[in-house]
Amino acid sequence: MSPLLELRNITKRFGGLTAVNELSYHVEEGESLGLIGPNGAGKTTTFNLIMDEFQLTSGQIIYRGTNIEKLPTHKRVQEGIVRTYQVPRPFHEMPVSDNIRIGMMPENIGKMIAEAPDPDAEMAIARSVGFGEREFAMYPGELSMGDLRRLELARTIAAGPKLLLLDEVFAGLTVAEIGQITELLLEKRKDGLTYIIVSHDLRSLAPLVDRVVAMSFGALLSEGSFDEVLADEKVQEAYLGT
Amino acid sequence: MLSDPGMRKYLVGWALFGVALLLFPQVATSGTLRIFIFANFIAIFAMSWDILSGRTGYISFGHPFLIGIAAYTSAMLTYHLQTPLYFSIPLGVIATMVGGTLFFLPALRIRGTYFALVTLAFMELMYQLTQVMRPDITGGTRGLSGLPTLLTGALPNYYLSSAVMFVIAFCLWLLIRTRLGTALSAISMDEDAVKSSGLDTTKLKLFAFMVSAFVAGVGGTLYVHYLGSIAPRAIFDINFLFTILIAALLGGASTIIGPIMGAFFLTFLLEYLRPYIPGTERYFIYGSIALIVYVLEPKGLHHIIQRLYGALMRGKQA
Repeated sequence: MSPLLELRNITKRFGGLTAVNELSYHVEEGESLGLIGPNGAGKTTTFNLIMDEFQLTSGQIIYRGTNIEKLPTHKRVQEGIVRTYQVPRPFHEMPVSDNIRIGMMPENIGKMIAEAPDPDAEMAIARSVGFGEREFAMYPGELSMGDLRRLELARTIAAGPKLLLLDEVFAGLTVAEIGQITELLLEKRKDGLTYIIVSHDLRSLAPLVDRVVAMSFGALLSEGSFDEVLADEKVQEAYLGT
Repeated sequence: MLSDPGMRKYLVGWALFGVALLLFPQVATSGTLRIFIFANFIAIFAMSWDILSGRTGYISFGHPFLIGIAAYTSAMLTYHLQTPLYFSIPLGVIATMVGGTLFFLPALRIRGTYFALVTLAFMELMYQLTQVMRPDITGGTRGLSGLPTLLTGALPNYYLSSAVMFVIAFCLWLLIRTRLGTALSAISMDEDAVKSSGLDTTKLKLFAFMVSAFVAGVGGTLYVHYLGSIAPRAIFDINFLFTILIAALLGGASTIIGPIMGAFFLTFLLEYLRPYIPGTERYFIYGSIALIVYVLEPKGLHHIIQRLYGALMRGKQA
């Protein structure tokens, strides 16, 4: 069976700087893959390339056996590839309910106008990330960083993901919040979601991933189980500085 | 829709507004009605600007370009070909939607200041072209006069302009309350995040633009056949552009009701200042007032009134 997503020798150059260099890796359906590497390794750039937020310089991105390089961002999302951002990007002047509504929108403008929103379905998604009625009516400016991460997750879940790209999902969270988000992600995995998770917080990443890819200077450094990759000398040298 | 008490409250508000427009001529002089007619047209143009720029955050400095395409199309058709108004007006609206899209569609791919500058360039381009390109058709610098008018007299024109303004306002208000309105607002906050939610922002912006162009076209054609004349300096004028923009911003962008309030406030302010300051210095006064209101409450008059209403209701309950 072909992997859910496969990157084949993808490269991204910004002028003279090569941010991602001939990178190849894949993720199987239902798998959870950790993507680690020091700052500037090209992890977020890889996400941007997968989502078409940056255009590839060369290489191939294959999703469910089909080349998707020509698909624009919104089409990739409709195909089931959805991402979160390192710094949460909620719609600040809208309550949580409307933020979730954006994720649930039909593509057809006629349907957007003719069909009424479904507050029950929106609330169900809010509840699935641990929000209650109170948070549902709140604005992003009133939420903690942990809740903003939940909101980001809620909006991505509302878009109906099959493959979720999580960028630094634990950044800025308290220990308790990390525990809550971990629990939430583990629960969603049971529903068959596939993850690629970028994180600097290796301890929090460990229970969530089946396999890890380590990057440095835009290239693949090591690949394997969490313990194997962390034990790899090249990874320790590049990533941990030892 | 009517079972929602919040919605019912708004619908009562709209009904009262409609009745007020209907009864206003009973207490107004013909001069006041003429000011009102002009305010109605500014309100239509400001709403047209608002549905594109206020909602999506794509600030257009070229709105007179859209108004001008419709107005000139209808004016030239009636002047040279004696086309009946019931043909020339829809053709003018279609010309704005098609012509405007040809120019604006590439521009909708750029953002922020660049979009504003490109649209300003469109307006300037149109201003120059109407003067030098085939002046025998466009009327050149002097424009065209003696155009047929739809109705004559202050009262019929008041009712026509008020009815058109009211219907457009109500339809746009309904439109922005749908999920489409939510999606357009989200574009102004973070367009990339909207794309990342699976929505085609180019299609959404194009739709907003088409609605905006339609409203500008309707307003533009009716305006020119109210005045009975058209000239490049009257349409593609920076003061005309800023009147539309300030009406929308001062009233409260992205609200539909706000631009109407702003248009009425500005038009009546300018007219009431006329006996005291007959020259263009009036614009300095109105600019200052607009600036003060905008600094005090960036969300505009609409928000100030909403806050006062909220305070009043809380006072009643206490």
